[in-house]
Amino acid sequence: MEPQQNQPRRKVLIIEDEYFISELYVRALTRAGYDVTVEVDGQKGLELAKTNQYDIILLDLMIPTITGMEVLRQLRGQGAPKLKAKIVITTNLEQREELRADIEAQADAYLVKAEITPRELVNFLNTIK
Amino acid sequence: MDHLERFVTQVKAQLFVMLLLNNVLVLAAWWVGQEVFALDPLLVLAAMGAVALLSLILIPLLSAKFITEPTRLIWQAILHISPDVANVPAPDLSKPVLGRELVTYLTSHIYQLASVVDSLETDSSQHADLTKNFVANSMPLPLMILDKNQTILFVNAAMCGYLEREAGDIIGQNVYSVLDMSFSSPQTFDAWLEQARASEVSASKSWERVRIDVGDYRRRKQFDLAAHYSHDNPEGFETMLIFFDHTERYGQDDQALSFVALAVHELRVPVTLLRGYIEALEEELEGKIDGEAADFMRKMSAAAQSLSVFINNMLNVARVENNQLVLKLREERWPDIIQTAVNDLSLRAKIQGVEVVTQIDRDLPTVGVDRVSMYEVIINLLDNAIKYSSKGQKVIIRSQRTPDGMVETIIEDNGVGIPANVVPNLFEKFYRSHRSRGQVGGTGLGLYLCKSIVEAHGGKIWVRSQEGQGSTFGFTILPYTSLADEQKTGDNKDIIRGAHGWIKNHSLYSS
Repeated sequence: MEPQQNQPRRKVLIIEDEYFISELYVRALTRAGYDVTVEVDGQKGLELAKTNQYDIILLDLMIPTITGMEVLRQLRGQGAPKLKAKIVITTNLEQREELRADIEAQADAYLVKAEITPRELVNFLNTIK
Repeated sequence: MDHLERFVTQVKAQLFVMLLLNNVLVLAAWWVGQEVFALDPLLVLAAMGAVALLSLILIPLLSAKFITEPTRLIWQAILHISPDVANVPAPDLSKPVLGRELVTYLTSHIYQLASVVDSLETDSSQHADLTKNFVANSMPLPLMILDKNQTILFVNAAMCGYLEREAGDIIGQNVYSVLDMSFSSPQTFDAWLEQARASEVSASKSWERVRIDVGDYRRRKQFDLAAHYSHDNPEGFETMLIFFDHTERYGQDDQALSFVALAVHELRVPVTLLRGYIEALEEELEGKIDGEAADFMRKMSAAAQSLSVFINNMLNVARVENNQLVLKLREERWPDIIQTAVNDLSLRAKIQGVEVVTQIDRDLPTVGVDRVSMYEVIINLLDNAIKYSSKGQKVIIRSQRTPDGMVETIIEDNGVGIPANVVPNLFEKFYRSHRSRGQVGGTGLGLYLCKSIVEAHGGKIWVRSQEGQGSTFGFTILPYTSLADEQKTGDNKDIIRGAHGWIKNHSLYSS
């Protein structure tokens, strides 16, 4: 995975409280040329998302202080600031249908962490424009 | 009997009057002949004989009508009420007749009897209704009857109890608004009914593991369903449904499975991490290790991948069992999916010393599949074929079009094969052939899952095997064109919604 030359590094915010997962994602994404920020706390993650211009936000659902669902609602619900960031849900949860419909309506993609390796994640994010 | 005696007396009096009249007339003839006309005695005698003869002829003629009138009236009354004779008026009892009391008495009895018979007949049809109701209501199985608009015409007491609703709330409603049944396969009740209505005079079918949620707390109930359809039933009963409750038994299975699923779910994170770190390690060590170390690395990576497949299988089986495996069928290039699976298993094949040969027809149409699920089908079948082959053997994966327009994929090995007696059970849950008791691992879930997924796609899966001579597994799927009609939108930019995640207007596996 060669760093992307001659173009601004894409900024990624990872809101994830599992250290090992974020370590692997940070490593893979950094090697692929992304500018990566990690936040474990939902509330702080939300503030970061609102005050910085990210290209992509990887959002776990089970995170401390406020849940990923709440973060998603505040970023994409009514009266939310207009962000250019694509929001990708990363979770291992089996969603109930009705909750899932909510996520579908608001997020840009939904990934099950157990289904994909860090390399596959990078490949996927490379295709998101 | 008073009436009869009076009638007899009246008849006696009538006869007495007649006979008296006769005698009076004869005597009158004598008196008139002798005293008025002073006739010759011989002539008087002749006149008396003539009068006697005349009255003997006239009196019966006149009196017969009076004496038989009661019989005629009773006869008329009987004919009047007889269902076999039409247009006979009721007898007129107002005229003064001989034996009028008797006639009145008897006709009133006749009408009474007739009304009793009538009411007996009415009773017996009511009785039949009551019997039907009694049978339906005392039947310990929930029963429901629908008309041709799928409106509920009847539910028995057991059905009301089962659904925890009053009959009044249910009857007259559309069945689908009352019963939100979920089925374990696409061959659902509504699909069957639609087909039966289109082409059958009468049809019956049963389903296992049907689920509904009932009551305020949406408690799940599970049952087997039997249904009977009959076209043009005179009473308007078109479809009958009977439930056989198995909530407890199926619930226990579900609990066992959900425990396993829960346990397996806990394995997901460590395995995800394991695969992630192995991947990172491979990258870090690339070019720095070779020989045995590189070989160990490959084996470790392959083992972690197998574990991941196993976990997916377990979780997917749990989803299949809970009717939660949602497939999003999209237009896909079939060779791409096969190639991805073959590539992903190349490491395993290499370690096992098995060569995987791919033979795909060039003019294969695009297929309508859930890519992720179908990938798993191929992975499972291919993994089995590799697993049961020996070093140096070939595994062939072939895909071609069948005469009936399906896309058939065949995976063939020359490995240990399967004994004939276990072949019929091979696709059952937790079933493992004796061959897997050796050094080869497996869960017995893979083939069950393959069957569930292939059938959910509208295809069929089969196996042909001979012990010692290898096995051939095959399955069919539909080309996209035959699915396209079912898709509401023609574009291929659907959201992927499967068991594994979705991406808007995108495919995770397109890279």
